[in-house]
Amino acid sequence: MTAPLLPRTPASPARGTFAGRSFRKARVLFDAWLANMTAYRAEIVIWMLAGAVPLIMMAVWIGKANAGGGTVGGLDARAFAAYFLAAWLAQQSTVAWVAWELSFDVRQGNLSAKLLRPLEPFWEFLMQHLTERVVRVPLVLGLVLVGLLLAPPGTVLTPGLEAALLFMLSITLAFLIRFMIAYCIGILAFWTEQSTDFDETYYVLATFLAGGFAPLELFPAAVRHFVEWTPFPYIVYYPAKLLTGQLPASDIARVLLVQGVWVALFALLRHLMWRVGLKKYGAVGA
Amino acid sequence: MPIIEVENLQKHYTVAEKEAGLGGSLRSFFSRKTKTVKAVDGVSFTLETGEMVGFLGANGAGKTTTLKMLSGLLHPSSGQVTVAGFTPYQRRASFLKNITLVMGQKQQLMWDLPALDSFLVNAAIYEIPEARFQATLKEYSDILELDGLLSKQVRKLSLGERMKCELAAALLHQPRVLFLDEPTIGLDVNMQVRIREFVAEYNRKFEATVILTSHYMADVTALCSRIVVVDKGKVVLDGSIEKLLERATDKIVGLEFSSRVERSELERYGVVQSLDGLSAKLLIPRSQASVLAARVLTELPVADVTIEDPPIEELIGQIFSEGKASRDTELEQVQKEQVRA
Repeated sequence: MTAPLLPRTPASPARGTFAGRSFRKARVLFDAWLANMTAYRAEIVIWMLAGAVPLIMMAVWIGKANAGGGTVGGLDARAFAAYFLAAWLAQQSTVAWVAWELSFDVRQGNLSAKLLRPLEPFWEFLMQHLTERVVRVPLVLGLVLVGLLLAPPGTVLTPGLEAALLFMLSITLAFLIRFMIAYCIGILAFWTEQSTDFDETYYVLATFLAGGFAPLELFPAAVRHFVEWTPFPYIVYYPAKLLTGQLPASDIARVLLVQGVWVALFALLRHLMWRVGLKKYGAVGA
Repeated sequence: MPIIEVENLQKHYTVAEKEAGLGGSLRSFFSRKTKTVKAVDGVSFTLETGEMVGFLGANGAGKTTTLKMLSGLLHPSSGQVTVAGFTPYQRRASFLKNITLVMGQKQQLMWDLPALDSFLVNAAIYEIPEARFQATLKEYSDILELDGLLSKQVRKLSLGERMKCELAAALLHQPRVLFLDEPTIGLDVNMQVRIREFVAEYNRKFEATVILTSHYMADVTALCSRIVVVDKGKVVLDGSIEKLLERATDKIVGLEFSSRVERSELERYGVVQSLDGLSAKLLIPRSQASVLAARVLTELPVADVTIEDPPIEELIGQIFSEGKASRDTELEQVQKEQVRA
């Protein structure tokens, strides 16, 4: 052992501003996870197809509209086509598997390595999802364009740039709602040792409540009234309505505000559950 | 002032007991039986800055659970822990930057990416200045011979190669306290020695405090002057290796003879552990070792003699079996009392 180690340096305070350091962390995490995600191109295609419910429902509702003399519930074939393509885009842009990932990490003890670092695991999971989105969204957009070519002539996905920009804002909030909910479900693994079964049931229910099977205006009034009080329409239905320009202008601010409130509520719930749940960590196989 | 203080630390788990099979599942659904597992049951010790301590014990003795509480992964059920002035489970960034935990059986590097990518992520997360990162990386790379490994995908590395990368990654931020849980498990002897030397060098240069668990006694005897032995979640011995040796009741006297000696002749001095041609090993009570050895020298045709302590493994095994024996006796007494009652 002749090679000298480093001269003993006093632990130097980190350089740069907080923002600068945060940016560095974000960039490096982004690079690393992007490299990881591009290795999963094929899987991402399969996951996308698994989320094809809105596309299948589009065919169903267009068929019904055509058979029913042109419209169902005031929507014609073109409106259905635009809605379901937008709904699919919204659903694909908000996919979150952190529930599965987190519960796996808890049960396998993989969470330990993440907890050892001076960075909350939350940020790493978030970055995983964002980098995956960089790979997924271009593919989804390509398929939406193909869908438009196959849709009834005259189908307009979005009336213009303003609607598209509002959609981008709304879909970011929608993703955060979905991500926070999934995170909370994942945290349940601290207590149940397994929460993925629950996640499957949740997925089907959430797709329905979010408007993935039918736009909300086709729901019976009582059901719709109930659904409006859940976060789900704000994940798919409202962003899709924003994109297609089917939402009254007077409703736009309300939708964005409610989305923000849901993000805040679930972020708070996640924070509290995490603090309590972490105390339980390690009870299994640790 | 001690850098690590542990006072009556406990970690108790409530686990559900489930019988096998469908019937068992149904029964446990309606009436859930639980039992409390005392993984760590009142552990206390202190470590001074720069100390290297071997943490020994059988599987399930509570070593890893203790290390996980010291590194902030687990919340203690009760008791006090302070590491470098911090309460570990609060997991403050300044605490986490001061420690590392290396788990030989768990990997922390990103599996599908080259190790260098994980190093870069760590450098960013631990806020290591660029120049220091480069210098540290070069230093570790020279000592651990990481050349050519860092750009390969982690999953394509051999176990030994991966462990070297894991160790380098875990020490990039130059922590002052190292928790090493089986860092050499599954590695060949050369690799074990290399990692041992690296840890020793790191300890010397940075005055780092090290707690090491290992199944390989050589790791412990090479690195640590002090050992803490845990059994069933309790500390059964804490002291220098010499102190452990004092607990040995016997010395081993190795003899080489110039002509054949009968077993019965040897049995007059002590217990014959082995007799093979012209060499023999005798167990002689510690207090009489020198006297008896001197007598053997004059009375038998001895060509050479050595007096040794028994191997540490045996002594620790002895401590465990003593512990078990005393528990068994307690249990028997309890049972007898129950019978009387």
